[in-house]
This record gives sequence, C-alpha cells and structure tokens, in this order.
Amino acid sequence: MGGFFSSLFSGLFGSREMRILILGLDGAGKTTILYRLQVGEVVTTIPTIGFNVETVTYKNLKFQVWDLGGQTSIRPYWRCYYSNTDAVIYVVDSSDRDRMGISKSELVAMLEEEELKKAILVVFANKQDMEQAMTPTEVANSLGLPALKDRKWQIFKTSATKGTGLDEAMEWLVESLKSRQ
Amino acid sequence: MFAKLKKKIAEEAATGPRPGGRMPRSISKESITSIGADSGDDFASDGSSSRDDLPFQLLRRNGQIRKLEAKLSDYAEQLRLLQKTKEKLEIALEKHQDSSMKKLQEQNETYQANRAKMAEGMALALEKKDQEWMDKMALLEKEKVALSSRLNEMMEQSLSLFQKRDDLDELEGFQQQELAKVKHMLLRKEELLGQKEKELQQQARELQTTQSALADAQDKLRLLEEEWHESSQLQKKLQAEREELLGVRLQADKKISEMEGQTREFRDLIQQLSKDLETSQSSAASLEQSLHSLQAEHEVLKLQHEQHKQKVAMAEEEKDRLVLELQEKVSCLERRLQGNLTEDEHLKELLKEKCALEQKVEETRAELLEARTSHAGAVSSLEAQISRLKSTMAELQTLLRTRNESLQSLRENSEVQVTALQLQVQESQEKLKSSEQQMADKETHIQQLQAEWSVTSERLQQQCQEKVARLEAQVTTLEMARDIDRTTTQHRISELEQEKENLLSSKSEMESLLNRTAEELEQARAELDSRQTVSVEIAKALEETRRQKEELQEQVGDMATALSTRQDELAKVTEQLGLREEELQVLQEELRTTKADLSQLRAEAELRSREVEQREAEMEAQLVTLRQEVHTKNQQLDTWQSRVSDLELEVEALTEQQQPSAGGEMEQNGAVTADDLAHVQTTNKELEQQLMEKNKTIKQLQQRLAELKRTLQKELKLKPEMEPEVKEKRQDVKADKPERPEKPCPENPVPTPGPSTTTITTTVTNNADLNDSREINFEYLKHVVLKFMSSREAEAYQLIKAVSVLLNFTREEENMLKETLEYKMSWFGSKPSPKAGGAQDVCLNPTPHAAQPAVLPGSDNNGFRLCLCVGISVWFFLLFCCPGQQGLHRDSLYSS
Repeated sequence: MGGFFSSLFSGLFGSREMRILILGLDGAGKTTILYRLQVGEVVTTIPTIGFNVETVTYKNLKFQVWDLGGQTSIRPYWRCYYSNTDAVIYVVDSSDRDRMGISKSELVAMLEEEELKKAILVVFANKQDMEQAMTPTEVANSLGLPALKDRKWQIFKTSATKGTGLDEAMEWLVESLKSRQ
Repeated sequence: MFAKLKKKIAEEAATGPRPGGRMPRSISKESITSIGADSGDDFASDGSSSRDDLPFQLLRRNGQIRKLEAKLSDYAEQLRLLQKTKEKLEIALEKHQDSSMKKLQEQNETYQANRAKMAEGMALALEKKDQEWMDKMALLEKEKVALSSRLNEMMEQSLSLFQKRDDLDELEGFQQQELAKVKHMLLRKEELLGQKEKELQQQARELQTTQSALADAQDKLRLLEEEWHESSQLQKKLQAEREELLGVRLQADKKISEMEGQTREFRDLIQQLSKDLETSQSSAASLEQSLHSLQAEHEVLKLQHEQHKQKVAMAEEEKDRLVLELQEKVSCLERRLQGNLTEDEHLKELLKEKCALEQKVEETRAELLEARTSHAGAVSSLEAQISRLKSTMAELQTLLRTRNESLQSLRENSEVQVTALQLQVQESQEKLKSSEQQMADKETHIQQLQAEWSVTSERLQQQCQEKVARLEAQVTTLEMARDIDRTTTQHRISELEQEKENLLSSKSEMESLLNRTAEELEQARAELDSRQTVSVEIAKALEETRRQKEELQEQVGDMATALSTRQDELAKVTEQLGLREEELQVLQEELRTTKADLSQLRAEAELRSREVEQREAEMEAQLVTLRQEVHTKNQQLDTWQSRVSDLELEVEALTEQQQPSAGGEMEQNGAVTADDLAHVQTTNKELEQQLMEKNKTIKQLQQRLAELKRTLQKELKLKPEMEPEVKEKRQDVKADKPERPEKPCPENPVPTPGPSTTTITTTVTNNADLNDSREINFEYLKHVVLKFMSSREAEAYQLIKAVSVLLNFTREEENMLKETLEYKMSWFGSKPSPKAGGAQDVCLNPTPHAAQPAVLPGSDNNGFRLCLCVGISVWFFLLFCCPGQQGLHRDSLYSS
C-alpha cells in the first residue's frame, strides 16, 4: 500500500529520481561519502557486504544513491546494478598507491559496460587529508582518465571525513546532469 | 495486513539459522545444566544438613528420583523421538535416494536425447550456416577484393595528390622565396635611391653654395673691373696731364729758342750799333759835323740812355713784379703745402702749381734771358758806344789839337767853346760817371738781381727739381702704386679668373656629377624599370603560379572532394565491410558460441556424467558410510538403550535400595544412599561428560562435514573454470543437494579427534579465502534479499537483476519477477500468472510452504512477493544451514 502511494506521489509530483552508483575498491570511503551526502555527518562504518541505498536531495534534484560494497568477492555483482544509471561516482583511496592498478582495471571494466555508456563519471580522489595522498592529477593519470573518450568525466579531490570537496563535486554533477537532460 | 507475517518472516530470515542451529544444543545443555545444578545444589545442601532431616531428605530424594524418572522418561521420549526422526530420515533418505536416482536417470535420458537432438540440429544448422557463411564469405571476399582494389586506387590517387600537394608546397615556398628576394631587391634599390636622392640634395645644396660663391665672385669681379676702370681712367687722366705737361715743356723750349733768337737779334743789333758808332766815328772825322752829330749823337745817346733808363726801370719794375708774384706763389705754395689735402687734389693742385710754376719759370727764364740779352746788348752797345765815344774822343782830341792850332785860332773862339765843351765834357763825364755809377749800380743791382734771380732760380729750380723729383717720385710711386694696383688687380683678376675657372671647372664638375647622378638616376630608374618589369614578370609568374596553384588547389579540392567522396564511399564500403565483418564476426561468434555451447554442452554432459558418476560413487560411499553410521547409531542406540536399561536397573536398584531404606534402617540406608548418591552423581557426571564428548564429536563432525563440503565445492569450482563465479553458486547448490542426506548423520561412536582435527585445520587453512568468499557471498545474498524484501518497488525493481543473478534465476523467472513488480508499480494491468517459479517451488520444496501461495492465492501482490521471498529464503536456508538443524527449522517453519 505504501509502495502504491509512494509510486502515486512520485508519479504525480516528483520528477524521475537520478540514479547514482558509488563504486570503488573496499575501504575507499564510499559509505562514508554516501552518509556524508545524505545526513552531512561522519558515521562509523563497517565493511559493506551488500549495498546501501539512500535518497539524497541536492538542489531540488532527487538522487537515488547506491553505495555498493567494494570487496573483491562481491565486485562482480556491481554489474547487476548498472542498468538505468545516470552517473557513477568512482571513489579512489588517494593514499593507497599499491592498489591503484586494481582500481584502474575495475574502472576500465566498469566503463566498458554497455549499460553505463551514457553515465557521467565523477572520480573522487578521496582521503586527501592523508599525508601520502596522491594529487588529483596523479590519480587521474594513474587511472588513465585522460585517455577516456566519449565520456563526460571530472575528478575532484575530496575528504569524506573532513567533508571537503564534496559540494563542488555534487555541484558539478548536478550541473552536468541538468545540462544533459 | 500481512505486516505481522512479514515481520515474522523477516525475523526468521534474520535470525533463523542461528537459533535454529543452537536449539537442540541449548535445550540439551539447559536440561543437563539444570539437572546438574539442581543436583549440585541438593548435594551441597545434603552435605551440609544433619541426619535429622533424613525423612525430609528421603522425601527430597524421592522427589529427585521422581524428577530423575521424569527426566528418564523424557530421555526415553527423546530417544523415541530420535528413533522416529531416524526412521523418518531413513525413509526420507530412501525416498530421496529413489527420487534422486530416478531424477538422475531421467536427467541422463533426457540429456542424452537432448544431446542427440541438439547434435543433429546443431550439425544441420552448422552445415547450413557454414554454407551460408561460405557464400557470404565468398561474396564478402569479392567485395573485399573490389574494395581493396579501390582502396589501392584511392591510395595511389591520394599519393599523387600528396605529391601534388608537396609540389604545390614547394612552389609556394619558391614563390615566397622569390617574392622575398624581389622585395629585398626593391628595398635595397629604394635604399639606394634614397641615398642617391640624399646625395643629389647634398650636391644641389653644394651647387647652390657654389652658385652663391660664384655670384659673390662675379660681384667682386665687377667691383674689381670698376676699380680697374677707375684706375685706367686715372691713368688716362695722368697720361693726359703728362702730355699737357710735355706740351708745356715744348712750348717752354720754343720760347727759350725764340728768346735765344731775340738775343742773336740783339747781338746783331749791337753789331749794327757798333758799325753805326764806327760810322759815327768815321763821321766824327768831320769835326763840326761830327760835333753836331756828336752832340746829336750825344743827345741821341742821352735819349738812348734815358730810354735805357726807362727800360731798366721797366725791367726793374717787371722784376719787382715777378719777385712779388714769385713771393706770392711761394707763399701760396707754402700755404698749399702746409694745407691738408687729399692726395689726388694735392696731386692735382701740385700738378697745377707745377704747371703754373713751370710756366712762370719759363716766363721768368724768358724774361731773364730777354733781360740778360737786353742788358748784355745794352751793356755791349753801351761799351761799344763808350769805346766809340772814347775813340771819337781820341779822334776828337786829335781833332781838337789839330783843331786846337786851328782851334787856337778857333780856341780863342774854341777856348770858350772848349771851356764850354770842357764844361760839357765835364758834365758829360759827370753824367757819364753818374751813368757809370748808375750803370755800376745797375750792374750791381743786376748782379744782385742776377744773384737773387740765380738764388731764386736756383731755389726755384731746386724747389722745382725737388718738386719735380717729388712729383716724379710721386708719379713713380703713383705709377708704382698703379703698377702694383694693376699687378694686384691683374693678380686679382687672374685669381678671380682662376677662381672663375675653378668655379667653372667645379660647376662643370658639378654638372658632370649632376649628369652622372642623373645618369645614375636614370640607370637606377632603368634598373628599377627593369626590376619592375622583372617584378612584374615575377608577379606575372606569381600570378601564373597562383593560377596554377589555384588550379592545383581546385584540382586538389576536386581531388579532395573526390577523395572525400571516395573516402566516404570507402568509409561506407568499409562500414559495409565492417558491418559485413561484424555480421561475419557475429555469425562467427554465433558459430563459435554455438560451437562453444556445443562443446560446453558436451563438456557439461561429460562433466555431468562424470559428476553423476562421482555422485553415484559418492552416494554409494555415503550410503555405505550412512549405513555404517546407521549401524553405529543403532549400536549407539543399543548402547544407549543398554545404558538406559542399566540406568533403569540402577534406578530400580536405587528404588529398591530406597525402598528397603525407606522401609527400615534409615541410618544404614543413609550411608548407602550416600554411596548411591555418589554413584549416581558419578554416573551423572559420566553421562554429562559423555554428552559433552558427544556434543564435541557432533561439532567436530559438523566441522568435518563443512570442510568436506568446501573441498567438494572447491574441486567442483576448479573444474569448470570457464564458468563465471556466478555459476559456481549453482554448482554449489547442486553439489550441496546430494550432500543433504549426509547432514543428519551423527558422528561415529568412537571419535578420532587426532588425525581428523589435523586434516581439518589443514583444509581450513587451505580454503580460508574460499570460506570467506563463500561467507561473504552468503552475507551478500542475505543482504540483497533483505533489501529486496524491505525496499520500495523502485529500488526492488533495480534489485531484480542482482537477486536473479545471485539466485541464478532463469530468464523467465527474472521476467516474471519484473512483470510482477511492474504490475505492482502500475495502477492497472493484470496480474501475471506465475508459471516457472511456482513449479520450481513445488519441485524443489514439496513441503507445506509450497502451498503458501495457495493459502494466500494472489490476494495481494505483496503477499505473492512475500511468499516468493519466503520460498527463496527457505530454499537458501536449506542450502546453507547446518544439516542437524534442518528438521527443527522445518518444524519452526511449520509452526509459523
């Protein structure tokens, strides 16, 4: 019944929700970013086995944000969530230089998916508050972003715990989503 | 409506397996511990209490015994239950074995039939497709060949085009170079022109300066000529003056000669006079006559004397006048000499004075000469007269003597006469003397005058000479000056002429320079013209080249357009080719996939057959083991029963012991009972220990089972590597299915903990990650299913795919889920009929929960979803839960 009414209301009033996926390796800070975006606070998180889905309203745009668990064994299930995705927030742990290659290969595999051909890519070079963090350009180069074609992308330096960089990134995302509509 | 049910199911799903797993253990533990605790308490209280309370204690023991009996009966019931379950399990096992065997056989048959069919169909389809593809390939190859030839042509054309482009570029480069050269030359020429113009201007300026200098020089020349004219006029004047002066001198010379002629006349006159005298003397011979004549003569003489006197006076007067004039002139000259006058005037005046002076000098000279001559003539005439007189006197004296005799006669006559005569003579003598005196005076005066004259003349001559000398010096100086002037003027003139010549030469040089520059200019212009013509030619050449270039560009454009069209054609063709290739690839891929499918199917078939064989072997082994286990269980049961019987015996003995004790000696019995109690306690403890051991063995067995499962899964996973990870689930499931009957088996009666534990640990370490991943997968599935059930439709719709992938749904099942969700989300539409899901449910779980959709026959779609989810969860639990808890879990399900 509730579902009925919600669907009724969404059909009557709300515009279509933007579907956004937050992806990235385990421990990159996806869940922290999700809750930072939703409630604006840093929550203590445990490794996500599964996913978290929250509705985030930003600048009169409703986002259905899916934070998918990034552990190695459940990464293959990401592709189950790709359909009807408007944007992908790819979170990278800037201080984790060893696994940057894995992150790149996951990103490349993700971007090759047909269902994500029209999705906007936002890369969060997260954990910028760490001392040994790579700069966004370094991250972009190590992810091979400059070589991307037919893809609207942007990289932002963020710190989910400090809350820096998220607003700019979301602003850009909103603008680019609005412009795409 | 179904909130309660949902909640329950959710709770069940959330907490289902764990409590289910723990249930039996916890129950048994509780029971045992409760017993132990109770007995312990009792014992402790017993130990401390006195014997006075024996009846009470006995009562309590009785109660305890009763409790024990009750527990024993519970145990018996449990045993019975266990037996029942065992039977049930055995029955189920058999059933399952049968069903599985049947299924296996059916599957085998169907599979083989399918395989044969598939093989035939595939072979046919393959042949057909092969032929089609061959045809297509042939066609494509033809097209490809044509296209490649075209491509080659195009490549050649493009090459030629590139060459032309290169040529064009080179031409443009040359053009630019030429243009640059021409520009450079023009610039240089312009610079040269500018320099030439500057030079020209400088030369023009020099010309102007030289012209001005020329004009100045001409002015100077004119001035000099004027001066020259003036000087020549002066010279002429001077020459005229000189001539005049010369004429004056000549006149003076003539006058002098005239004067000399006059003097000669005078001398002639004097000679005539002497002749006259002689005549007179001759005439004096005649006495009286002569006297008369003498007297006449005397009178004449007297007259002459008087005349002479008058003449001398006149001369004196004239001389005096002359002296005065000379004195005046001298004074005048002195005055003039003293006065300051310009040289010319001075000179003129001097010259005039000189002229006047010379005239006067000449006059004076002439007068002097006249006077001298007249004086000399007069003196000589006088002297001649005197001498004649003397002679006449002497003659007269002689005549007188002669006459004296005659005169004596006559003397008396004559003496008077003589005396008169004497008197006369005396008087004449006196007169003579006076005249002589006068004459002397006159002569002195003349001498004086002559001296004066000489002095004055000398002075005048000296002065004149001096003046003349001065004048001559002046003239000479003037002439010198004139000469100098003339020379200077001539020099100047020559200089000027030289200058003029120089100027003329410079002018000519300038003109020549001008001409040269003009020529140079003309040459430059000619050069320029030639250059311009050259440039024009170059421009023409450039234009031609441009035209050529344009033509070439047009050609290039044409070529480019042709190229582009060709490229477009090529692109189209390539696209077609690509499409064809893609089609080909697709077809090939299809072929490959079909082949792969075939091979996969074959492999699968083989695998399945192998699996089936393995499973059969395993099943047989398991059966054997199960039978052994059943045996052991039976043995255990026997032992248990024996123990129970023992216990019963013991209990009976105890009761018997109690009964006698209750009947008679309480105190003895007390000791006995104490012993018995101890015995009971020990047995209890033993039982507890045994129970603990059994629990342990059960745990170990469970662990081993889990390990076995994992190893089996791992092996199964390792074999089909080409299958993605998602598929392993299915195999896990399949692998798990036959193991299910194994699960309820208990451990063998004699546990062998040593080796088994080691093997377990090794296997655990080996498959730790696998274990983790499996656990994670399980957790993931759980999470997803939970979310799927709890989330909104919109989210649930997105989760369909994840769920279907995780649970390995078929396409139809997934579609069904989607349709149902769409139905729920939409306002209208008809409910889709559940076909495959229900069937599967039924076939998978023939247990009562399959009837749940029937119980809630589509009253609401939520209900259907819940049922579905419940079915999934149940199925999942069946897969993953511990075998020991399955029965209980089912019981709980039944109860729910």
